[in-house]
Amino acid sequence: MSKFIKAALASSVLAASVMGANAANAATASADARANILQQVTVTSDGSDLDFGTIVSGAAASTVSVSGGGRSCGAGIVCSGAFSAAGFDVTGTDGETVSVASDPSVTLNSGTNSMTANIVSSVSTMTLTGGVGSFNVGGLLNVGANQADGAYVGTFNVTVNYN
Amino acid sequence: MIIQRFKLLRKTCIGLGALASAIALPLTPVQAAGDLLVAPTRVVIDGQRGTEVILNNIGSETATYRISLELRRMTAEGNLEDVSEEQENEIEQAAKAMIRYAPRRVTLPPNQPQAIRLGVRAPEGLPDGEYRAHLLFRAIPAARSVTEQNIPEGGFSIALTPIYGVTIPVIIRQGNLEATAAIANGRLEKKTDGEALTFDLNRSGDRSIYGEIRVIKPGLSEPVMVARGIAVYPEVNQRKVVLPVPPEVAAQLKGNVSVEYYEPANAGGGLIAKTDMVLR
Repeated sequence: MSKFIKAALASSVLAASVMGANAANAATASADARANILQQVTVTSDGSDLDFGTIVSGAAASTVSVSGGGRSCGAGIVCSGAFSAAGFDVTGTDGETVSVASDPSVTLNSGTNSMTANIVSSVSTMTLTGGVGSFNVGGLLNVGANQADGAYVGTFNVTVNYN
Repeated sequence: MIIQRFKLLRKTCIGLGALASAIALPLTPVQAAGDLLVAPTRVVIDGQRGTEVILNNIGSETATYRISLELRRMTAEGNLEDVSEEQENEIEQAAKAMIRYAPRRVTLPPNQPQAIRLGVRAPEGLPDGEYRAHLLFRAIPAARSVTEQNIPEGGFSIALTPIYGVTIPVIIRQGNLEATAAIANGRLEKKTDGEALTFDLNRSGDRSIYGEIRVIKPGLSEPVMVARGIAVYPEVNQRKVVLPVPPEVAAQLKGNVSVEYYEPANAGGGLIAKTDMVLR
């Protein structure tokens, strides 16, 4: 991890400029040297998406929720298979405080059928202790009664906001 | 009816993602698009001089990024909230109108940085004050391939694709602006995941304040806690600051401490406000 940060620092955020001052006379000359090291932020997906797993829906509407802590299935729904919350890693300056925001809800569409999911981030603000932090984004999926077949797709926004 | 798990988008990311992607069972070729680096994390423009922000693709695949100007408002809790178009006020509209930036869409191969140029064109007769918008960098998700959309008969799949990114504030100051701050109401609060040092930051004046909080314990030369990147924007006169306290620091914080608010080093590093308090 630290190697990664160093590499990123070295490769991309070093904007340097050197300004030479003109010599006023032959005997003395002065020059200013300036290097501007910029603070950086990186946001990376940790490889897991928001995944509700395999669900067998029932005759009544119900819900399935997934968070970093686990999955909980509402009455009348059977859940199995692997599931995951979407995970993100943030790197920046040690001790930096950042806020995290996500869309409150998302509509998943399959043709004319739809479901909604509420999106919940595990944190609203976090401190990058040691320059790193991570958070995950889970959701509450609202499964309708006898939810129609289809490929339900949707996108949701997650942003890391700097003060 | 069976919903079959069907992951449409898989990602890996260099280094960081190696472990995680192993857990995420990459059964199909992995696809990483959208990991990004942005520097600097804050832009303040005084006068007409422009600047630039560096965007780097740190993912393992070519990605297309969109850069846009957004509005955010600080809440009393210190969070930044979206501002919809109907809610925009005159100051926010003026900020959006005077900030020029390019390019607004860029496709980058892995490890390819791109400078986004930023400039300001202030209209004539612009009232003195601080104007701010937030520059949002995010990747446009790659289109899914047809094969990935095939689903088994009699089931259905769920695919929720996150579009993730970073916002940094772009602040324009017009005229001679002043602001002061004060720290009040410091206390330790019990949270579900440990203790948090909580206090109010009060602001007065006609611009935002920004800096880092240092918690100093008498007799110790190093601060016991440092939190950087704490701002109070002009739309609020007071915000709450909640700093999670690591367990190893919690015991040290009890008793007399001094909470100090400093400007960042590149803005002079001066003391903005300081309050002694007793924490229990």
